[in-house]
Amino acid sequence: MLHRRILQFLLIYVLGLTSLLFIKYVLKLSDYVIPGPQGLSHTVSCVFVKYFFDVMNTLSVAVIGHIISVCLATIVGIIGRLNSWAGSFVKVAAYNIQAYPIVAVAPIIFILMGDGISSRLLIAAVICYFPLLLSFIGILSEPVRDIEHFYEVTGRMSWRLQVKIRVFENMNKLATVIVGSATLAMVGTIVAEFIAADSGIGYSIRIALYQSDLSKVLVALFLIGICTSLWLTCLERIGYLIQNHFRKG
Amino acid sequence: MCKHIQKLCFIAAVTATVIVTGACDKKTGDSGKEVTYRLKWLFNASVAGDIYADVNGFFAEQGLDVTIKPGGPERDAIKELELGRSQFGTASADQVIRAVSKGASVVVIAQLFQTNSLQWIYRPDKTRVDTPEDLRGKTIGITYGGNDEAIMRAVLAKYNIMENEVQLFSVHYDYTPFYEGKVDIWPVYRNTQGIFISEKLSEAAERTAFFDPDMAGVRFVANSVITTEQMIKEDPQTVRKFVTALLRGWQKSLDPKNEEKAVAAIHQFDKDTSIETVRKQLSVTKRFIKPSPETEIGKIDADAWKQTENIMLEQNLIPGPVNVEKILKPFYNL
Repeated sequence: MLHRRILQFLLIYVLGLTSLLFIKYVLKLSDYVIPGPQGLSHTVSCVFVKYFFDVMNTLSVAVIGHIISVCLATIVGIIGRLNSWAGSFVKVAAYNIQAYPIVAVAPIIFILMGDGISSRLLIAAVICYFPLLLSFIGILSEPVRDIEHFYEVTGRMSWRLQVKIRVFENMNKLATVIVGSATLAMVGTIVAEFIAADSGIGYSIRIALYQSDLSKVLVALFLIGICTSLWLTCLERIGYLIQNHFRKG
Repeated sequence: MCKHIQKLCFIAAVTATVIVTGACDKKTGDSGKEVTYRLKWLFNASVAGDIYADVNGFFAEQGLDVTIKPGGPERDAIKELELGRSQFGTASADQVIRAVSKGASVVVIAQLFQTNSLQWIYRPDKTRVDTPEDLRGKTIGITYGGNDEAIMRAVLAKYNIMENEVQLFSVHYDYTPFYEGKVDIWPVYRNTQGIFISEKLSEAAERTAFFDPDMAGVRFVANSVITTEQMIKEDPQTVRKFVTALLRGWQKSLDPKNEEKAVAAIHQFDKDTSIETVRKQLSVTKRFIKPSPETEIGKIDADAWKQTENIMLEQNLIPGPVNVEKILKPFYNL
């Protein structure tokens, strides 16, 4: 699974890079607009190690942000599944918050929390939690009638049991949406770093853009792609193990 | 049959309307040669002359139909020139030198800012920066990767101030660290942001002052008008006409007699800034475009360009010399 995902990414990256170089040579553009192979290899030798650690820094924040957003979506999903006033309020509030563009909200977050790790975490979590929330609310609000009916008529149904039944019956869907939102966590962290952080690959990309250095951006994109592929494969593996565990249990 | 004819008539009427509307939508002055001018930043007082020339028809008088497009962080005029999307642009010296070092065929035809408007704002009641040596021990805001980083590092190097003698603070979009006093001096464009921040602090009864690297002997050239080598070779007349109209726009916009007209023209493009602030910004901009009555607007200061190149070389921002004087082509020499 890992090698296939990496191979797919490499294929897309090489295709993209080849297209850029094709445009460069057809339109006779200078290295300032699109860097040539020599400039690219020079940049790789200069920044590869630094950018690798920057991506690791970003990935670590993205992973924690993702975990926070999964927890957040679970809590909101559990409350939002209720047909009560509280459930409806939580749903509306969650949807409304998501309607604000993060680039407009981010400066407020940075004013309140500074430009440290907490702001990056919050922005990453906010960006990736919405798709999670939609699925979680959908899944947790949908009764599994065949099973739930039995517990209801015997008077043994509790909210915990109800949540467990619905989660277990929809494990595949949940795993898919969690893996999908991991990419968004990475994107969220990079956006946060781009706007106001002092570290991470988003911050390095911002500096590269200030210097109009596309070759640095291309190296950053390569590392982001590889590391995100690795992280997604890990998540898929974890999801697979959890599903197996539940099936056996 | 009748229905078919009705349908055909309807389609014909719609088509004719679209064609006529499209024709009317086209800018007047179709006879003029169409060129696009990409600015370095958004519309504000820093481009007063460019706007003035456009609004008052100076380009049209020269037989040009100029579309002025605002710039921004992701809109690089040099790239636009290479891609053929613009024929003229504004760029700072560091952008031009970087591009030339990477093989871009760009030439400078006029230098709008005779001194760089990038300065550092501070509160004189709290922080004293009377001389560059006073920077020792201060927390200095810089944008890593930006030209303010290069300028500040050049100032520190010139006055033998080691990096461990100051604290460099990474600057972002919001000014909160400066307002909160976490940073002693903060980089601003003196004629635009400098006015806003001064006004804000003045409301809080705080005085402001500016540290000017130019006064410390570090000359790092800012906004200049650029085009391509090819454009100069193939169409020098258009280049000459463009610069003539543009510089006339600057001359007129900075003339005290035309102040109200210039302020109104800028405000037409920059509606978010109050008329009063625009007036202040224009007044300060004048100091950078025409520092003395003898200064010729648009004059290219070759020594300042060479110093900018040297600063970039010393800081390894370019791999080797580009002999910047070769790309300086004042329009009157074309």
